[in-house]
Amino acid sequence: MIEFANASVTYPGGVKALRDVDLKIDDGEMVVIVGLSGAGKSTLIRAVNGLVKVTGGDVRVDGESVPNASDAELRALRSKIGMIFQGFNLVKRTSVLNNVLMGRLYETATWRTLLGRYPAADVELAMRALERVEIVEKAYVRASNLSGGQQQRVAIARALAQEPTIFLADEPVASLDPPTSHVVMRDLQRINHELGMTVIVNLHFLDLARMYGERLIGLRDGEVVFDGSGEEADESVFESIYGRSLTADDVLGEPAPDEDAAEVAP
Amino acid sequence: MSAVTSAPRRTDKPQRPDAPSGFGRKAGFVIVLVLAVLAWNAAGLQLDKLVRAPARILRLAELLFLWPQWDAFGIAMQGMLESVQMAWLGTLIAAVLSLPLSLLAARNVSGRFGSEATRQVLNGIRAFPELVLVILIVTVFGLGPVTGTIALGIHSIGTLGKLSSEAVESIDRGPLEAVDAVGGTWAQRMRWGVLPQAMPEIVAFWLYRFEINIRASAVLGVVGAGGIGAQLTETLRYKEFGRAGMAFVVVVVVTLMIDAISGRIRRRIISGAADDRDVDGEAKAQLEVDPIIAAEAGAVRDGEV
Amino acid sequence: MSATDAGTVAPQRPTKPRPSPMRYVAVGVVALLTWLAASDLTGIGLVSRLQRTFADGIPDRTAEIFDQILSPDWSILGATVDPFLETLAMAVLGTLLGCSLALLVAFGASAITAGGRKRLAGTRSIMSVIRSVPDVMWALVFVSAVGTGTISGLLALVLFNIGVVAKLLSETIDAVDTGPLEAADAAGAGIIARARTAVFPQVLPNYLAFSLYAFEINVRASAVLGLVGAGGIGQLLLFFRNRFDYDRVSLVVVEIFVFVFLTELLSITLRRRLTE
Repeated sequence: MIEFANASVTYPGGVKALRDVDLKIDDGEMVVIVGLSGAGKSTLIRAVNGLVKVTGGDVRVDGESVPNASDAELRALRSKIGMIFQGFNLVKRTSVLNNVLMGRLYETATWRTLLGRYPAADVELAMRALERVEIVEKAYVRASNLSGGQQQRVAIARALAQEPTIFLADEPVASLDPPTSHVVMRDLQRINHELGMTVIVNLHFLDLARMYGERLIGLRDGEVVFDGSGEEADESVFESIYGRSLTADDVLGEPAPDEDAAEVAP
Repeated sequence: MSAVTSAPRRTDKPQRPDAPSGFGRKAGFVIVLVLAVLAWNAAGLQLDKLVRAPARILRLAELLFLWPQWDAFGIAMQGMLESVQMAWLGTLIAAVLSLPLSLLAARNVSGRFGSEATRQVLNGIRAFPELVLVILIVTVFGLGPVTGTIALGIHSIGTLGKLSSEAVESIDRGPLEAVDAVGGTWAQRMRWGVLPQAMPEIVAFWLYRFEINIRASAVLGVVGAGGIGAQLTETLRYKEFGRAGMAFVVVVVVTLMIDAISGRIRRRIISGAADDRDVDGEAKAQLEVDPIIAAEAGAVRDGEV
Repeated sequence: MSATDAGTVAPQRPTKPRPSPMRYVAVGVVALLTWLAASDLTGIGLVSRLQRTFADGIPDRTAEIFDQILSPDWSILGATVDPFLETLAMAVLGTLLGCSLALLVAFGASAITAGGRKRLAGTRSIMSVIRSVPDVMWALVFVSAVGTGTISGLLALVLFNIGVVAKLLSETIDAVDTGPLEAADAAGAGIIARARTAVFPQVLPNYLAFSLYAFEINVRASAVLGLVGAGGIGQLLLFFRNRFDYDRVSLVVVEIFVFVFLTELLSITLRRRLTE
């Protein structure tokens, strides 16, 4: 369970990114966070694994306080939380498999990482993660040779290789084209349904948010302004979150393609 | 929707690929290993000497620095001043001579044959180490700082010409075309199309070379070309370690001081005065990339120098 | 009406801005420093020395030496092979050792990978001191400590390489894509694992290029380290010079030139291919 208690984040420049956020996210939920850019979505999601430290209040994951964790505790905590990013954050000059194996860094002895010799069990785990996102045939290809959608799936495999219980996705489709966006969102949905992980996704597009979010949290200026199911969130709710009427930029505007279309290599 | 997501997306399960053999990498390791063994044999290193080296170096460090000879400070400063003067004049000579050469060497503003020929000349000049140049030049100008200055000047033409021509090659073509369009001559093209764009970086390279030349001029004295090098050689030879240590410290401190000043001016020239006054400076100052080192690193990586 | 004539309601022409006073100050400072450095009273007397040299003409002895320099003594070519191999060996070992150590130092000298301000500041200060001392001076000190021979030269090259390669590499590390670092952090990686997996692959081609460059400057440096007794061909050069055998000095200089020039060509070609 993830709990935000009065959590606030003020950046060194004085910008307040989160203001007194109170939230509870239960195990196995699929949560979508929506809001304008700058509303504090990325900060909220990074507060969960401590990439951003809350400056006031507390964030607890399974009862453990994130801001008060020591370096070692924080690393242990992070190893149980997978994360993917808007820019994929792959090491482009190395193979897909090496990228996925980065998900095993917490468990691997330092000398093994230095030599690049991972235990066979970890390689097996990485291969299985690649199979789950259906990109295993690219295991020995350089990450830079993949398309954006493929790179994001490798990033998902990297997070899966951690065998996490919580899965964070920070704007995972912002750099992808519409059909690929649906492929990635469906991968996340399957992770939630089939593996039972708690999934928290930041999204800008409200149609995607409504389609995939079982629970929707609206952020505006660092404050939670909506928290409810996807069905409840109609246009007026979105307008209150965005603080303006909706524009074409706020929807992806492409229906979920059928399975064959999703297979078209991006 | 759940029906959609639980349906298998593919029926033919993709095969896991075979791991690549990694032959290139292994071959690389073997080559390096063989080279190392060959070199070890050819260098004729005596193992016992090597084992004793750390203790001896520590002992020398003690002798050099624990009992500083303050009365040698003035002489050391005098020697270092001469080294700095040699570096300054040497850099100036090289700057003046390398500027036209760099224009000739730049592929975008010079003819194909001319640029290739000039490049090889610059490479050739660089291939003479300063100390070797001194040995030749000393026969004309005699022992003393003038010989050292000229050696520094000649050697620096090579590097400065190469780096400056890189700066010229990275300019925007637009202004060149504009000068051509109004019917400018070659000299006008250089003066109004090239130099305004490339000059800040080139001047920064001059300053950077000055920093390097200070280091170089500090040792030219070992072959009699003036500066603090002669003091170092002699004090070490006659085991006046206190004086040698003083000279060593003076070299380090003066070099670092000039580096700091010159580095600051270089950054200012490249980035303009405004950036220096950035408010949340602390984190920025730590991460700040030295533009000239970055340019040098780029040139080194791409095999340009 | 000529083409440059403006309309009737022309806006006021601006007054020509004064050039920044900094420019005059800079020119003045450069001129003053140059005069101070070149003059007879405070500097190295560049002008008077040049005047004297050219007024007196080239002395006979110099002309003689020049004759010798222009006719290198090829008969000792065979005798120079061994010292040359020693120099080459010194350069190879110095590069391997120096660049391996430089890799570690570079990670400590970049704000991204150092893991803590104190370590960063510490590594950087040590690096500046190492860099402020020229290679030949390190060789002088090591010769004084461990005696003449290749070991002293090797140690000097190692330190010198750490200075050059660690500096270039740490600047490269500062500029890497930090996305993978964030990903490694999010996976709970420690700073060593993070540096190895998220940073090292990004800078590897640069590191190899810098190492080749280091080898190239090592060849140049190791050729002269012998002048202070640190082994190799330089020692032979010193020997011939001290005996005023300028025809032999000339041969060694030609050899060094060819040797350095060829290494440079090789290194530049390899580096270009590396980054293609």
